[in-house]
Parts: sequence; C-alpha cells; structure tokens
Amino acid sequence: MNILYVLIPLALLLLGGAVWAFFWAVGSGQFDDLDTPAIRIVMDDDDKPPDRPDA
Amino acid sequence: MSKSACFHCALPIDRDDEFQVEIDGELEPVCCPGCKAVAELIRDTGMSSYYAMREAPQPGVGRPPDDATEWQLFDRDDMIDAFADLSDQSAEATIYVGGMYCAACSWLIESTLGKVKGVESADVNPVTHRVRVRWRTEDLGLGGVLATLARLGYEPQPLAPESTARPEIAEQRTALKRLLVASLGMMQVMMFAVGLYAGDFQGMDADMQYFLRLVSFIVTTPVVLYSARPFFAGAWRGIVTRRPGMDLPVSIAVTVAYLGSVYAMVTRGPAVWFDSVVMFVFFLTLGRFLEMRARHRSIDRSVALSTLLPNTVTRLEGDVQNIVPAGRLVVGDVLIVRPGESIPADGVLVDGETTVDEALLTGEADPRRRSLGDALVAGSINLDGMIQMRVEKTGTDTTLGTISRMSERARYARPAFVQLADRLAGYIVVAILVIAVGVATYWYFNAPDRAFVITLSVLVVTCPCALALATPAAFAAAGTRLAELHLLVTNGNAIEVLSKATRILFDKTGTLTHGKPVIVSTQLLGDTYDEAQCLKFAAALETVSNHPIANAFDVLNNPITATDQRVAIGEGVAGTIQGRRWRLGKFGFVAAEESAATSNDATSVFLGVDGVVIAQFDIDDEVRADAVSTIQALSSLRLSIGLISGDNKQAVQRVARLLGIADHHSNCTPDDKLDIIRSAQVAGETVVMVGDGINDAPVLAGADASVAPVHGALLAQTSADIVLLGGALQPVTLGILLAKQTMRVVRQNLGWAIVYNATALPLAALGYVPPWAAAIGMSASSLIVVLNALRLSRFRKT
Repeated sequence: MNILYVLIPLALLLLGGAVWAFFWAVGSGQFDDLDTPAIRIVMDDDDKPPDRPDA
Repeated sequence: MSKSACFHCALPIDRDDEFQVEIDGELEPVCCPGCKAVAELIRDTGMSSYYAMREAPQPGVGRPPDDATEWQLFDRDDMIDAFADLSDQSAEATIYVGGMYCAACSWLIESTLGKVKGVESADVNPVTHRVRVRWRTEDLGLGGVLATLARLGYEPQPLAPESTARPEIAEQRTALKRLLVASLGMMQVMMFAVGLYAGDFQGMDADMQYFLRLVSFIVTTPVVLYSARPFFAGAWRGIVTRRPGMDLPVSIAVTVAYLGSVYAMVTRGPAVWFDSVVMFVFFLTLGRFLEMRARHRSIDRSVALSTLLPNTVTRLEGDVQNIVPAGRLVVGDVLIVRPGESIPADGVLVDGETTVDEALLTGEADPRRRSLGDALVAGSINLDGMIQMRVEKTGTDTTLGTISRMSERARYARPAFVQLADRLAGYIVVAILVIAVGVATYWYFNAPDRAFVITLSVLVVTCPCALALATPAAFAAAGTRLAELHLLVTNGNAIEVLSKATRILFDKTGTLTHGKPVIVSTQLLGDTYDEAQCLKFAAALETVSNHPIANAFDVLNNPITATDQRVAIGEGVAGTIQGRRWRLGKFGFVAAEESAATSNDATSVFLGVDGVVIAQFDIDDEVRADAVSTIQALSSLRLSIGLISGDNKQAVQRVARLLGIADHHSNCTPDDKLDIIRSAQVAGETVVMVGDGINDAPVLAGADASVAPVHGALLAQTSADIVLLGGALQPVTLGILLAKQTMRVVRQNLGWAIVYNATALPLAALGYVPPWAAAIGMSASSLIVVLNALRLSRFRKT
C-alpha cells in the first residue's frame, strides 16, 4: 500500500493542474457563454445556398 | 382573410401570396418586404437551419432592414477611434445587438459575420447581448459590420470601450471557479473518505489513516476558504445587520465541522468529517450558481433603453455641421435633429418647430407639438420638423437615464419572496442554535465523548436547506419556464399572486389592440374616384410623413407617386399628383368650408383635391389576433375579466363587444383606474392588471400583480412584475396555469421539508445519526425538493 504515498500526492498535483487550467479558461472568457455551445453542435454550417444566377 | 402567420416573424398576415420566400424548396408566406429580405439573406448565406433551431419566432428579427447608408458614417476615422481598439492591421469593437433573444440568434450572427470578407472573429454572448468583432481594416470598416447586423433585422449599437465591462460576466466567472473548486474537492475527498470508512471496518494502518486524513484536509481547505467564502460573507452581513439568514447556520456548521476535523486529525481522534464539509459546500454552491443564472437571464434593460438614442448626432459648431458620436455630447452643445431622428439628449428647442413621439417613454400615442423654448426628452422621436436644440442634460442625467438606473436597481434587488424566506430562516436559525446548544449540554453531561459528534449531526441534519430551497427552487424553475413561454418575471411575488388571481383587468390601446392605426372604413364624399384610388392617392402623399397615422396607409408598393410634397406640422400633408394639388389631413386643412362630415369614434383623416374633400378615412386600432381566444381561456379559468381604458366610450365598447367583455370602463383617468382596482381589492379580490402605457404605471403598481407588454412604455415595464415578450396575449393564460402548478409544487416541497426535519431532528438529537448520514440526508432532501421543482420546467399547456 506504500505506493499510495506516491500516487495520492501525484493525484493532488494533477488536480492542481486541472484547477489552474480551468481558472485560465474561465479567465480568458471561454465559459462566458453557457447556452450557445450546447446547440451549436446540432447546427450545420454547410447548408448549400440555392443556385442563383447572380451568385 | 386567411389565418396564416409570417414565416419569419410569426405576425399574422392577411394574404399568403403577397410576399413569399422559397426556403428548402417550399414557398413560405412572409408579412412584409423587410421579413422577405431578412429571410432571403438567411437562406442565401446557407443558414436556413436557423428556422429549425430557434426557440420561437423573435420580434427582434423581422424588422425591416435599415438603410445601409446610415452605417457608412461609422467607417470614418473618428468613429473608429470612439468605438474600436485599433492595432496595426485590425480593429476590434464590442457591439450591443438589440433584438437578440435566443441561442439560435447568436449562432446566426456569428455565422453570418464569419462569412463577411475581412472579419477575423466574432464572439456573441447571448446573456449580455453583445458581440465582440475583430476585423481587418483594409477590407472592412465598422460600418460594414453594423450594416450586416442591421440587414439581419437586429439593432446594432457600438459600445464605447469603457462601457463594455459587465458585472454579470465577472460574477459568473467567480461563481464558476468557486463551483469547480467545490465539485473537484468533493470528488477527491469522497474518494479518500471511502478509504477511511473501509479502514474503519477492515482495520487500517494508523499512519495510512493519518495520511488519508491529511490529504482530505489539504483538499478541503481551499473548498472552505475559497468556495464557501460567500456564505461566510453573508453570515457576517447577517450578524452586522442583526438579520441572520441561511448563511449563518451554514457557516457555523462548516466552521465547526472543519475545525473539529482538524482537531481530530491532529489529535488522531476517532473520526473526521471533511467529506461532510465538502459535500455540504458543494450542494449549496451549486444552488447559488443556479439561482445566479436565473437572475442573469432577465433582460439587460439598461442597454435596451440606450438603443433608443442615436449613435451619432449632428452638432452645430459655428456654422459648420459636424457629425459626432452621441457619447461625446456636453451640456450647451447645439444640435440639429432632422425629421425621423430620435432626440439624443434632454434639452430645449432653440430653432424650428415640430411634433415629437414620446410613446416609448410615456405610452402616449398621440404626437406632441413642440415649439421654441419647449423641453425635449431624450429618446423621443422628432416626427416632422427640422429643429435645433440646446443640450441641457446628457447620458445618465436624462429622464431616460433615470428610468434606466431605476430598472437596473430593480434588477439587482432581491425578490420579496427571498427576503421573506430570509426572515423566516432567521427564526429557524435561532431555534436551531438553541436546540444545538441544548443537545450539546445534555450530551456533555451524559456522554461527553459523543457530545461533539451528535451536536454536529444536529447542526447538519437540521440545516433548513430543503425548507429554504422549497420556494426559491420552484420559483426559479417556474421563472425559467415562464421566460420560455415569453413571460419575463421581474418580481418573484408575481407568481404567487397570479396563482390566486380572481380578476384580470386589461388596458385597451397597445395591450388588447396593436396600438397601431389601421383604416377601419373609408367613406367616399365625392364620386370622381373609387375607394382603391383614394387609398393609393393618400398613400402616395403619406410617403414623406413620419406621423404614426401614415403607417395605416400602404406606403410601399404604390404605383402612384406624388411630387412636391410638404408636411404641415400637426395638420397634414400636401403634394402634387398628376398635376393637381392634393391634401390629406384634418378637415380644416383639406377643405376651406366648415365641417359637414360625420365624426364617429375613430380618428378621421380627410383626402381632398384642390380644396374639395373627396374621401374620409376612419383610422382605428385593430384588436390582437389572439385576444378573443385568450379572453375565452381566461374566463374558463373562472376569472372575471374587465377592460379599463382612457379611451372614449365608443372605441372601448367596440372592442369590448368584439371580445365579449361585459365589464368595461371608458374615459378613465389613472386615478379612476386605480379606484376600480382598489374597490375590487376591498371586496376581497386579487387583481392582475395588464397594461402598457406610462399612465398605467401607478395602476400597475397598485394592482396585486401586473403584466406589461414589451413593446409598451418603458416606465410601465419598470413598474410591472411581469414583462410580456412578443406580440401574443396567450402567454398570460399559460402564466396563470403555471403559477397555480408552481404553488402546488411549493406546498409539496414545504410539506416534505417539514416532515423530513421533524423526523431527522429527534433522531439526530438522540445520537442515531452519524455526521456523514446527516450530510447525505440533508443533501438528499434538498435534491428531492429541487427535482420536484424542476418538473415545472417541463410544464406544457394541456
């Protein structure tokens, strides 16, 4: 079980890294919009515009 | 007349074949050239899926596209300086987008801007209704960006860099960070706790136990010091103001459990409760976060108000006219305001005369005459004269700014039901503390080694979370669902009042009717021309007029054109058609001799040629498409319905007859309306008022609950409890049904919370509940309450 003395501190380091990464992401505005990303995935950008003589 | 609705904006339309758009191979009817243009633009940029994805047709998208030339002004260097951050090759600006309501809108804006040549990035925030655009200056100017947004039917307004910071964003970011720390901390500590509990059963090396407790302590510490900080701050505020709220027992429980665990860890005592602490903090932080999101969803009306003002103004400097950003105005500036422009600041008219439309501020539809020395109010629209004005107040000092501040304050005020819950919680908190002290004293003398654990269990298990969440959770869920049903709740009390309503009173103009003039009848006074011809002549004359009555005539799509048109302020318009001089307006303006025409309830406009009156148009206000069905639905809910209006008797009777409302009052002053409400209230009735004018503001405030349509006077909206989005009335019925359902859920929740606390408290006091079970019991009972409340967000009309 002594391996836990290494693995748990390692897990805490990873946890610290995850928190830092999340704080950075929040600070850079990536979480300011919590509504649009949920539906963006279902919206297609590649609708073909209908053929138009002047296009 | 067919009953179909515009494919784009969902307004009812009379004829399917008048304007049509081909979308996905089907011909869809639209209501006007504006909607046609917007729908075609959306189709041609390949974004037809907007129509499938949007939550509901939005009133914002569907206004006629703005004239692109207006936006060219923004390509000038001083405008770029005022609104954008420049770097060597590109510029960045934040633009407020009026008329954006749902996530589909933000997708549409981002995708459309992304396809414009020169745009590097466009980020839309639907919460704050802002888009941040970055573009290459060699390809594009600010004007091009704004024109694109305007073509989609939105109302763009560039914001000066200093006004772009929003408190909501900062609040949300902090709340997210606290939530994340709490949730990650909870997951970690739970894992260690499983190890510790397993150790209790199977036996565990003392060093390993100490190590697991130590890492639990390390992870719990930031959760307590960072995530739980708002609770400590709230508890301190409660102590200082002598009104202890929910935060006080929460803080005490967290502090006691944390410090007790630290003590037990250091002294290698029998148990630690770090897991209870983090779980407790996590659930409470999650609750706060959801509450904050609900609060942010209400419309940011301060900016919505400022969209009434022009972005640019024409300033007179000596004899030179300079176009400057409206934000640069100072007191004493002399401005030129052209017909059709809105007044940019409060001030005094110094040259010329005109009529102004103050409807958005006062709800008064009739234009007001203004001449030399009269006061002008920012946000009103200059209808028909070119005037000069001297600025007396700018920005937040104006009447509009005051309204805006008022509504902003209302937005941040805690709703009354939360205040009530806090006061109640104050008593409960005192009771819990007294009980906890009693329990601690008893066990201290009988079994001192168990006293701490049992007291802690009592503190955690009796935390009135479920009790405290019972009402707000139901109201928050109902508020979200109501917003989806196009009812924006600004006062939490409104839901309770709606559920108990016995009488509902409607204002007429702008509420039951469109508030826009239409021609209800045409009488020919001569026999030279037929009705259709008269209408066309009249429409040709009205093309130059900004008067609201001009909207009644079909100004677009008119084969006849008039020349040499002239607007006589407050009288009418004149113009030359086919070589003859035509006039449209008041009888005295059109004809020389005295009136012999019949006058009825509607406003009458006369058409004449060379001084001979040939036609009379009666202009009136059309009843909303769903007014009849809404009134019927409300009657079937056993509500008594009344119509109170400041209008004349005939007009009110006509509408009342049409809608089948027996109880109607006409020629009411605001005081009369208030009296009607008061006497009903004295008779024991709960009165809901639906009205939109500024005259209605005191009436709305006097009613038990009030609803104001979003297109009405802004002051009415600030004093209303609920704002009705969109043009339909039917949400009012749904709102009442949902309010009744909400109160049922609240009663279920309160019942459950009381049963839970009444059972758990004696068990904990007797020492049968260990702290971890108390934490789970507390969380589970809160969760049940929240899940029950969430059923409301799936509410459908039945």
